[in-house]
Order: sequence, then C-alpha cells, then structure tokens
Amino acid sequence: MTLGQALGLSVVLCAGLAQAQTPEALGWLRKIHDATHKLSYSGTFVYQSGTRSETSRITRFADAGGDIEKVEVMDGVPREIVRTRDTVRCYLPESRVVKVERQIDRAGAERGFPILLPERISALGRHYDITVGEAPRRVAGFDCRTVTLTPKDDLRYGHTLYADVKTGMLLKAETFDAKGGLVEQFSFTQLTIGGVSRDRVKTRHAAQSWRVENSDAAPANLGGWGLSSELPGFRKVAELKRRLGEAGAVGQVVYSDGLAAVSVFIEPLEGRRDPVRAGLASVGAIHIYTKEVAKHMVTVVGEAPAASVQRIANAVEFRRPQ
Amino acid sequence: MKDSISQLMDGELDDHSAAGTIKACGQGGEALETWRTYHLISDAMRDSRVLSAGFSARLAQRLEAEPTVLAPQRKRAESRTWVALSAAASFAAVALVGVVTFAPQFSTGPASIAQTPALQAQPELALQQPVMPPSAANDYLLAHQGFSPRVSFQGMAPYVRSVSDQARGPRK
Repeated sequence: MTLGQALGLSVVLCAGLAQAQTPEALGWLRKIHDATHKLSYSGTFVYQSGTRSETSRITRFADAGGDIEKVEVMDGVPREIVRTRDTVRCYLPESRVVKVERQIDRAGAERGFPILLPERISALGRHYDITVGEAPRRVAGFDCRTVTLTPKDDLRYGHTLYADVKTGMLLKAETFDAKGGLVEQFSFTQLTIGGVSRDRVKTRHAAQSWRVENSDAAPANLGGWGLSSELPGFRKVAELKRRLGEAGAVGQVVYSDGLAAVSVFIEPLEGRRDPVRAGLASVGAIHIYTKEVAKHMVTVVGEAPAASVQRIANAVEFRRPQ
Repeated sequence: MKDSISQLMDGELDDHSAAGTIKACGQGGEALETWRTYHLISDAMRDSRVLSAGFSARLAQRLEAEPTVLAPQRKRAESRTWVALSAAASFAAVALVGVVTFAPQFSTGPASIAQTPALQAQPELALQQPVMPPSAANDYLLAHQGFSPRVSFQGMAPYVRSVSDQARGPRK
C-alpha cells in the first residue's frame, strides 16, 4: 500500500465515522428537543403496537412561567395525564383515583435528570448511529425531515423521528427492533402549533373526592442492592424509595443509555398476599420482567428488547452491606 | 431436558437454548409429555380458572380448521381428554412462544403467515397473561416513564402506553 492509498483509506474511514453522527443529524435532534420544550400545541395522535391502536389528544401550553401538558386517552379505559413543572398526575375516572408522581430529580439539576440536556445529545452517538434521511416526508400535513438512531448493538431499539422542517416539532416516532421490524409507533393525525390557552391544559375532572395515590418519592441509598454485571452502555441515573399504587415502600433504581431507560423495582415479599409470578410481559416497546431475588420481588421495566430487560433482571443481586 | 423445559416456562432460558427446547417439544415424545405435564401442574398449583366452559373444545375445533404454525403436533388417536389437554398446551405454547421469541414480529416474515389467526393472536395472548394484574403493571409503567429521556423528545405521548383493553380482565 502506498502512502497515497493509505491516506485515501484513512480519509474514507474518517468519512465513514463522521457519517455515523453528522453535525446535521445532531442539529436536528437539538431542534426536536427545543421544540418539545418551547412550543405550545394541540393535536391528536395515534399510538400503534401490533394489532393495538389507540387515539389520544395532547395539549401543551408553554410560557415564560413554565409549561403544562395534558394527554387524554380516547380509546379503552379512560385516562387523563397532566404534567406540570415537577408533577405528573394520572386521573382514572373509572376507579376515581389520582396517581401523583413527583419528578424528584428535576430540581437537582446537576445531572439534568430526567430531562435530557442538549449537551448530552451528542453522547447518544456512543450507542447509536444518527443519520438524517435524504427525502423529506409528509405527516399530518407537515413537511418533515427524518432522523434515524440505529443502535450499534442489539441491546437497544432503534428509532426514526419525523420532525417538522419549520419548527422541529416531532410529528411521528417509530421504534424498530434489530431485524428492522416495527415495535411501536406514535403518529400525529392532526396538529395545530400555537393558539393554546392555559385553561385548555387543566384537568376536566372534579377529582377533589377521589382517592389520591402519592408516590412520595425521595432519593435513597438502597444499601446492598445492585447489579452483578451492568448492561453495556447503561449506567445508574437514579436511586430512590417511593410508594407504588397501594403498595408500601418500594425501591427503584434507574439505568439509562441516554435514550432508553430501565427501572428496577424492589419490594419485600413479606406481607404479600400472592406469590411472585415470575415471567415476562410487554406493552409496545416496554418489557416487564418479574422474578424473586433474596426474598424480594424484583420487577424490571424498560423500553428495551426483552433480552436486555431480562439480562438486567438476572443480574440483580443483594449483598449484605459490610 | 426436563430442566430446560422448566426454565423455558419460567422464562429463564436465553434465545438459543429456548429455540432448541421449543424445537424438542415440537418433535413430540418425552419432551412434549413433560411440557404438557408441567403446564398441568402449574395450572393446578395456581388454580387457574381463566378459561370459559367449553373453551378447549372450541379451541381444538378452530385449531383443526387453521394452519397452526407454532403449535406442537397433536396425536389424533388420543381420547377426547387428551385433545383438550393438548389444545390447552397448544394455547400455552402459542402464548409462550410469543413471549420467548420476544414479542410480536410485526413486519417480519411472509405476509401470508402473518395473516394466520394463530400468529396474530400472539401479542394479545402475551398481554392477556401478564405476570401481574393490569392495575399493578400500570403503576410500574407510570413510575418508570418519568425517568425516560424520551420525554425530552416526545413530551408526554409515551405515557399512553399502559396495560388496558384486552388485558383489562374481570374486575374483582
């Protein structure tokens, strides 16, 4: 190989590397991220997974004082979810229950958690090839560009995001598995950007008399619980104690690769009426795997392939603190 | 083999071993017997009464009428009881294979196969047999979503994912 050929080869290699994560692609991700945080909008989207398809209405109000977002599920069991700056409330009119989740880590902004900070976007390139699609695509009347995040291994899912060319607003999101098969999809059928007033994001339920299930989440050290081996790319981003539904104190440890997150829930078996039913369940791209570890029920929940969720579950261990 | 089948039922086998074990069950013989017996034991222990009256017979009838791609072979010479048990085992096998092969493979495989009712039923079956009651599963989902960085790109839309509809089941 001559020097010229070697140089040529290295240029090709560099071009190949650069292509895996172009500044243009990262720019689009930032644009989507900013639009998600700054725009007011209202619209209707369809969630699809396998044979299941569900329509929801989403309304978001943003001004200098913060933002409020409301989602109403129109099919099946009625549900309404309202997020304010630090609280998510899930209204279930059938059972007259409000579930309240406080985003405890948002205040401790040093990790920017759980919000993905713009400067963390380029770190996604470690586990995903990020590319911009050549052809513009049209969704719900908006001209979109596509950004595809292709995982570099089979431990995570891939994603294609369709963003409005003008505003960066995300119109459609597809999740695909290692074989390229569609796992789930969110797609707007109608969207109006702007023109939202604050009263449109209020809950429509008079829920004063409903039962409130508060998560009471607080950062905690779950001394002794951990993973015997971590899943490549996933690092611990939160560790807390909380309540879950009507259950008592539950430990939650969250691992993330920057885009996908996996939660490990740990509950003592003592006082449980039913035995642990070990096994796997799934909802779209989310897998739930339950097993018993050291007289505790361990439930792993993550938007990752079943094998990844299972691998984390099988690595959960308790070591008596020395 | 007995250990593998037990592990398969508990979802503890990796992809490769699971495929081998399922194949062995599919070939009948001792493996299939073990598979049937373990499910019978597990159903009896859990006192599962999820099936409506005459379910097995109806399922057997429908299986007869359809190309059942994933079900183990049934022995025709067997008594009616065995047909019912076998149908139940097939039901379990279809559900389990749906889970073990890791969820619905929507756009893979030839369209003609994807159209068969047996395969289409998979995601539903997987949801009908969650490892926990739907309401509990939804608590975990809600608790988890707040930590997903996806919210940064997509807002609250991912929160609509919950166990509902098919998995709603009878109220206690």
